Amino acid sequence: MRSVSMPSAAGSGLEPGFRGVICASFGVTGDTAGHDTGDRPRHDLRFVSANPEALADLRSVLGCSHVGVRLVLAGPPADIRAAAAAAAECGLLEEEMTLLCDEAGPRVVYCPHCRARTTVGAAGTEAECSGCATTLFIADHFSRRMGAYLGYSAHVEEAS
Amino acid sequence: MTTTALPISAHPAVEGGLQLEVTSVSVQTESIVSIILANPSGGTLPSYVPGSHLVVQYGDGVNAYSLTGSGNAPSEYAISVLRVEDGAGGSMAMHQLAVGDRVYVSRPRSAFAPVSTATHHLLVAAGIGITPVLSHARAAADRGTTSSLIYVYRPGAGAHVDEARELLGPALTECSNRTGFQEVLTEQLASQNLGTHLYVCGPGAFMDGVLGQARELGWPEARLHSEAFGAAELDEGEPFSVNLVRSGIKLEVPAGVSLLETLENAGKTIPNMCRKGICGECSLSVLRGAPQHRDLYLTDEEKAENTTMMCCVSRSEDPELELDL
Ligand code: FES
Ligand SMILES: [Zn+2]
Repeated sequence: MRSVSMPSAAGSGLEPGFRGVICASFGVTGDTAGHDTGDRPRHDLRFVSANPEALADLRSVLGCSHVGVRLVLAGPPADIRAAAAAAAECGLLEEEMTLLCDEAGPRVVYCPHCRARTTVGAAGTEAECSGCATTLFIADHFSRRMGAYLGYSAHVEEAS
Repeated sequence: MTTTALPISAHPAVEGGLQLEVTSVSVQTESIVSIILANPSGGTLPSYVPGSHLVVQYGDGVNAYSLTGSGNAPSEYAISVLRVEDGAGGSMAMHQLAVGDRVYVSRPRSAFAPVSTATHHLLVAAGIGITPVLSHARAAADRGTTSSLIYVYRPGAGAHVDEARELLGPALTECSNRTGFQEVLTEQLASQNLGTHLYVCGPGAFMDGVLGQARELGWPEARLHSEAFGAAELDEGEPFSVNLVRSGIKLEVPAGVSLLETLENAGKTIPNMCRKGICGECSLSVLRGAPQHRDLYLTDEEKAENTTMMCCVSRSEDPELELDL
């Protein structure tokens, strides 16, 4: 019971009332292949990014699924965050989702000073805040609530 | 009727509540009567959250009964009472109430609320467990949310059957035997859209069965809601131990003995009143371990926090609880 649907065909390859595991990956690096779903039926989805079409496909797949279904999301945090929000709107609960954040993809950093979100590339541990231009040190901590990494002032000791 | 006349003073568990008059008593089944209570001076009563219950004083005791209305600006409160022949629960006294009698009641309390984000309510009730679930079905109909109900009752012993039929139409499934019920339940648990939440009320073993089956079919805890059935129905439970951190002692709570009794036997004085999970007086702080909540006092959220328990009825999910005592 393994099916792979391309983004355009998403939703159509799924039998109505699906209660297995939906594995959706985003971007080139997002990969749910390593996620073991045991003997539960599995439905794979692959998207370039969490763009409106991808989210619409995800919604339609969830729309024909039934309670008992689980969702695994893999890819860059920004995409996962958008997909998780769409899934929640469909009635899926937090404990029914597994988020596999891809640390190597672009990251969203949250600025504690001005609350702006800045998208930065995979490399580097510092970024300039798009809101207040503070140099942010990117902490390891990914906040699920904010859907972003937490940044803090990189040179705070020199600033004062 | 001296046993049911308004007592001289209100029981502490209904303090700050209301003094209502019985305006109607109707027989539902051989052992269940519905009692309508209204404000003696007219006017609407406080609104309540669907699934709420009322603490009603009888003589010098109190008991809790589910309200069966939708709760929206009610002009009366309706409860249904199952007569428990050998119970000390006051159901006999309640069955003797007559039109014109006055009773003290608490304000409605919510401990079995519908989830506001749910788009469908799957309701499952057995016997007198129909009462809070009927409230949910009415409120859902009022708000334009859908609900469906599986109602299990012995033939001829079902309360509110006509109302349920009228309210739910084809969304009502009536079951009178276990096999038929199992089939319907499995089928419905496996065919719910993602916005559905499950609400179950009935005897303990019945609820355990329904919740267990839902979990097996992949329903997470956050979708499962249940209402304990009243003290008379509580089973004796599993033994567990408690560690009283401040006193530095450890006690064993055997099956069939409450934590409150165990503490009292050990010489502890714990404030208490109703001794059946209604009044909230015997609350204890839990430092470690998950209580098995069987009271009607704490809300679902408070229960989920696992930091407070009502020691007169609640027990433990874990082999040991650590208490701030
Ligand atoms: S004594 Fe009333 S809740 Fe325990
Ligand atoms: Zn900033």
